[in-house]
Amino acid sequence: MGAFVALGLFQGAVYGLLAVGIVMVYKAKRAFNFAQGEFGGIAAFCAYLLIVALGLPYWVGAVGGLAAAVAMGLLVERAIVRPLESSSRTILLVALVGVALFAIAVTVLLAEPVPRVLPPLVEGGGVDILGAGIQPQQLILLAVLAVLAGALAWFFRTDLGLAVLASSQDTLAARVVGISPEAVSRLVWGMAALVGGVAGLLYAPVGIFTPGFMTATMLVPAFAAAVLGGMTSVPGAFIGGISIGIVQNAGIYLLGQQWQVPGASQLSVFALLMLVLLIRPQGLLGKEA
Amino acid sequence: MSATTLVLTRVRVRTHLGLVVRVALILAALALVALPLVFGGDVWAQRVSRAAIYAVIGLSINTLTGHAGQISLGHQAFVGIGAFSSAFMASRLGAPFGFGLAGAALAGTVTALIVGMVALRVKGLYLALVTLAFGLTAETTIFNWREFTGGGAGAFAPRSALVESDLAYALLCLAVLVVVLYTDWRLVSTKAGRALTAVRNDERIASTLGVDVTGYKLGAFCFSGLVAGLAGGLFAHWNQVVQALDFEFQVALLWVLMAVVGGLRSRLGIVIASSFFALLPLVLPNFLAGLPWQPPFLNEAVYHVLPPFLVVLMLLVVLRFFPGGIGQLLAPVTRFVKGAKR
Repeated sequence: MGAFVALGLFQGAVYGLLAVGIVMVYKAKRAFNFAQGEFGGIAAFCAYLLIVALGLPYWVGAVGGLAAAVAMGLLVERAIVRPLESSSRTILLVALVGVALFAIAVTVLLAEPVPRVLPPLVEGGGVDILGAGIQPQQLILLAVLAVLAGALAWFFRTDLGLAVLASSQDTLAARVVGISPEAVSRLVWGMAALVGGVAGLLYAPVGIFTPGFMTATMLVPAFAAAVLGGMTSVPGAFIGGISIGIVQNAGIYLLGQQWQVPGASQLSVFALLMLVLLIRPQGLLGKEA
Repeated sequence: MSATTLVLTRVRVRTHLGLVVRVALILAALALVALPLVFGGDVWAQRVSRAAIYAVIGLSINTLTGHAGQISLGHQAFVGIGAFSSAFMASRLGAPFGFGLAGAALAGTVTALIVGMVALRVKGLYLALVTLAFGLTAETTIFNWREFTGGGAGAFAPRSALVESDLAYALLCLAVLVVVLYTDWRLVSTKAGRALTAVRNDERIASTLGVDVTGYKLGAFCFSGLVAGLAGGLFAHWNQVVQALDFEFQVALLWVLMAVVGGLRSRLGIVIASSFFALLPLVLPNFLAGLPWQPPFLNEAVYHVLPPFLVVLMLLVVLRFFPGGIGQLLAPVTRFVKGAKR
């Protein structure tokens, strides 16, 4: 059981990292960003191309991957989000789902759907925590999540962060006081894509990765984490991610191992999401429902 | 005096011509459905069934997304639950075919009710999240529950003697499609349809008008689940074997895109887009592999991943340039056929 909790803690760090990006977009745009996972997917594939296929140094691959993610974020903002500014939230959501599927389809077309291995940031043996072998990469992930969540929570208290919130609450009033909603939109999507890219780049070396790996298994727990945290709270996303990871792995242990329920990991995430919406729809740290 | 009669006769002549053209258009559309059934043999009968089932699914999504403004990203779960229920009733309980379909519709409704009661209470598009999570759970847990679905081997769904042949089954699917189309048309033109429009446009204003927002959203979702379950029942007996693999979550995402490309609230557009999406993966790879000249970087494997790529590309083009989808493109034609003056 202890091992599962430890695994959940580190698995939860990835969810938290994705959830932070989801929360950023939701705070600024009131939109569920279903493309968040694919920012990480693009970053991982570009890094793989640069590091493994072309044999360039690791830092070049990392920077290239992050740059690709940010470029994708800005492209999505310019080509999809901005033209749909005046249409309904429903249509925007469908469009973002379309973006995620498009990114997956492009990676499948360009790179064959075979499993790949990206070398980890730090080589070396695992650490034993509560009986679970934790890779150094996972320790880095948790640390990066803590730093990023702290930095972004602070960001929303700066003038720039307040400008983002202002433009989300009333675009016209924000424009009157000299905030450019277009620039804010670019900033938010670029930052969300950067966070997503970091998540993909750090998570890909933990196991093997295939096209769509972030969306297929990570996106739903990440959304559950964001909802649990309150959808508008960056520290909430951090706590939510870790909690979801632990609940999911406890579920795998209790339901999957003890009772042989198939699909225990998905089931426990779904059950937790339903419980949160039933009991506390505004989440742990959310200000409104 | 003579001038007036001339005008009148011209008007009369034009209306007659218009009527002829209209009837010809409708007949041509019907012939487009009938031709593959009459001349295509079993292969095309199966394809027409598949297209009709997809159209029913598209209309199910239309009820939820088009009318109520909510999104389900796990619709494959409702279709799958319908399919497995119908297969379970037919093969394990030996129930008559009609009961199987009714059971499928009921299962879809009840599932939608349970999921919707939690997710639709909360303002916003939380239903999209919950259904996505539910779809993944259904895919891995419910559809792998051995007693209910036969585990990985799948469940058998035999057809009854009356619809044994592929042609008869295609006619059944088309009949169900017609019923669903009729229901959708009635739904829009009643009080419930107007209430849903109000909810879709602005929940707050709708509630000040006395519309029970959560109730109508839940009702639309349950009806959507009913139709999806029914489509699942048809799908089960179409293939005669149901497997968990048929209901992966990507399918649901493509279905939502399908309804949007067809044009939300446009019945004709959705039927056309659904048929197109149903047949694309069957027809395109064979067509491309049969071309005399093969592009150098393409091969059989690529042809099979091409359909979803094309679908998404179509979605992005539709959203960007004509948000009303195929229905918007066809609007002048449908307006002419209906005889509306504009």
